[in-house]
Amino acid sequence: MSKKVVMTSTGVPVREKPLGLRIWNNRGYYLMFLPVFIFVLLINYWPMLGVRYAFYDYKPVGEPVFVGLKHFQKLFETDAFWNSFTNTLELSIMRLILTNVASIVVSVFLNEMGNLVAKKTLQTLIYLPHFMSWAVVASIFSLLLSPSATGMVNGWLKDLGVIPADQMGIYFLADSKVWRPIFYLINIWKETGWGTIIFLATLSGINPELYEAADIDGATRLQKIRFVTMPALANTIITVLVLNLAKVLNMFEPVFVLYNNAVYDVADVISTYIYRQTFAIALPNYGYSTAVGLFRSLVGGALVILCNWLSKKVRGRGIV
Amino acid sequence: MKKKLISMLLTAAMVASLVGCGGGAATEEAPAADTQTEAAATETKEEAPAETEAAAEEYKLESVNMVINGTLTATVDNGQADFEKQWEEAVGVDLIIQQLDHSGYVDAVGRLFAGGDYPDVIIMSADMYAQYAPTGLLWDMTEAYENAEFQARMTLPAINENLKKDGKLYGFAPTYGNGCVTYVKKAWLDAVGLNADDIKTYDDYYNMLLAFHNEDPDGNGTKGDTYGVVAAGFLGNEAPYINYLPEFWQNAYPAILQGSDGVWYDGFQTQETKDALLRLQQAYADGAIDPETLTASTKIAREKWFSNDQTGSSGVFTYWAGSWYQTLTDNLIKNEVDEELVQLAPIAEVEAIGGYLNREAPVWCIIDDGDGDNAREQAIFDAFIETMMDGDVVQTLWTYGAEDVHWSTKAESFVTNPDDPDKKKEYNYEEGQFHLKQSPNDPNSVWKKNHLDPALVVCELTNGFVDTAELAVAGNKFFTENCIDAPISPASETYTNESGTIYDAKLAVVTEVVVNGGDVDAAMDNYVATVGSIIDQCLSELNQ
Repeated sequence: MSKKVVMTSTGVPVREKPLGLRIWNNRGYYLMFLPVFIFVLLINYWPMLGVRYAFYDYKPVGEPVFVGLKHFQKLFETDAFWNSFTNTLELSIMRLILTNVASIVVSVFLNEMGNLVAKKTLQTLIYLPHFMSWAVVASIFSLLLSPSATGMVNGWLKDLGVIPADQMGIYFLADSKVWRPIFYLINIWKETGWGTIIFLATLSGINPELYEAADIDGATRLQKIRFVTMPALANTIITVLVLNLAKVLNMFEPVFVLYNNAVYDVADVISTYIYRQTFAIALPNYGYSTAVGLFRSLVGGALVILCNWLSKKVRGRGIV
Repeated sequence: MKKKLISMLLTAAMVASLVGCGGGAATEEAPAADTQTEAAATETKEEAPAETEAAAEEYKLESVNMVINGTLTATVDNGQADFEKQWEEAVGVDLIIQQLDHSGYVDAVGRLFAGGDYPDVIIMSADMYAQYAPTGLLWDMTEAYENAEFQARMTLPAINENLKKDGKLYGFAPTYGNGCVTYVKKAWLDAVGLNADDIKTYDDYYNMLLAFHNEDPDGNGTKGDTYGVVAAGFLGNEAPYINYLPEFWQNAYPAILQGSDGVWYDGFQTQETKDALLRLQQAYADGAIDPETLTASTKIAREKWFSNDQTGSSGVFTYWAGSWYQTLTDNLIKNEVDEELVQLAPIAEVEAIGGYLNREAPVWCIIDDGDGDNAREQAIFDAFIETMMDGDVVQTLWTYGAEDVHWSTKAESFVTNPDDPDKKKEYNYEEGQFHLKQSPNDPNSVWKKNHLDPALVVCELTNGFVDTAELAVAGNKFFTENCIDAPISPASETYTNESGTIYDAKLAVVTEVVVNGGDVDAAMDNYVATVGSIIDQCLSELNQ
């Protein structure tokens, strides 16, 4: 069998050498790569062997016992799991859309601001909430939204006559009807500023001649936003949405610190469901938690593939 | 050549670091439940006491690895190193303390065990004990307990006798469980013209709560900005579940429990529970209960109750008896809220079930290494549990902490809050007089106790060291005179697996009825539809 012919970078056709010889010839590079390879195997891939416990009864005490698909059968039959699954998708996707829309609007406004000092000051102010931990954010909003006499928002609503003075305040964080809007608002408050960074970077890269040409054509400021700024941002918007879509099932912390048992129906997500099944009982079955986690990973993997396909369609290149 | 040398050195360094990270656990012995068979366990347990003692004498115990929750008040920043050092000097064994976060203790223990990190001794709540006892992980200490030297000084033997499962003891309770009593701010009672002695029935109690909400007990000139009672949840997540709101739950016990005929049943599905939920519903709607009870943790409820700003606070708080009576009073005084706290005698409806609930006691358990030999476990029992109840040096360490750090018998004087004329207090002690010192991490407060509450222990100190605060003594006396043991916790395979799901379903009912004002029968039907089959399976296993 003749050797395969390959082209070199200079366009010269050469016969390909055997793999062993190529490795030996480049052994220095392979040796340099080896530690990283071992590290990735041990840190990233070896723990993944733990997914086998999705098929075991695995408790803190005793040897794991193989149970086949029992845990998957249980989770597919459990309403609480499906509730958490749909909540995860709804909350994540809505949060993604709303925070990005807010970020785009704020970016465009910031881009239009002429006063540089005011612009920088505003930028700094809206970045700050991103650096607060979710636990602190939850504490602040719990106080502000408290239904008791100390709740500031309920106090305002009573002062304005929206709620009768002798009536109990709205329990914003424990009312299924208002929990999600409040959750989205808090997310917008916290993440909008940070989200503007990538859009502002794109906006600063727009060729000024386009705006000058628009001025010559007599375009108003709104028309320039519509016909110059937004088309320039479109690719970035789609890229950000597609890249984040792959991570929608990973939601935990913002929900965990803001939810409670009164709003499980609208707030419980897969990660919080796993948390309760694992850590809220004295002798948990890690097998079940692993099964739920594995299912989430599979769906997450499918979403990554979908996003990769979307990315290729939109940007001409994939994300993986 | 240089490149190759560098790459080889990098490779060697990385591999060496990975090997270093991975080592260490290989030589650890797996404990009982990992390795032992039932036969081996039985064999171990059937050994004669004499053989056990002989084996223990032969076994050389070098260290005790202890896992504990927040009940060891001598924390790392509060003199733990001195406690540990003095314990080691007294016992002659190295003590390794792993103090886990109190609120996340259950899951932290689960993670320790799942990671193969088994201590020698561990403290467990009644719930944990009920579920871990049948697993084979815990050492059967029945014989060691019955032959213990402290038996002769035991004043409350029934506590540990009641912990036996099928005649076997897997954990030792050094104290009785304690429970919660209802405290009322005296100043608020005075402000609304009520007397605690007149609060005898649920109606009296409820009218008091309404008065606290509808009038102006905090004297800030605004009516309706205070509440009757606050609690950490309407339904607790650990036994005895109802102890933060006993006046509302009364004769209901919303958990799986054993009837007087020995048959297990679901107390949540009873008419008593429905009645209790309706009482809570009414109280929530009337503002008698602070609405934040739904989401408040014990810390938040407690601090809101004795906060300096009483707007949004409550007049009533049901909380732990004994030393907490002192602590709550101290905090009210410190925050200039009130000078006096009233312990409310059980109302007639609570008295009808025997009074406030005395929870099942937390226990110290020894991890069985499953080698079929009791020598190690007996040695741990002797070094750890036997000495904890020695009535002298070591029991004092567990009760009051380290000598000359937390307590002393040397002559000394100290002042707390020296810069605040209103709170300043001087303490003078003579040589030989036992007394508690200033807290290591807070010189403005006096140390109270360490792990063991002197008023709750099953064996009293024999060295005469007594410095229990006056209110703590009064609180314990009041509780013991007005309490009844809580029902025992269930333990079955299904219950162990599904207790989280069951609890979620119960909370859904409580929230729907109490907070959303929903129909109690419809909510209960939903509960049955959600977890009814699981409950039936649990009951079937328990009643086998």
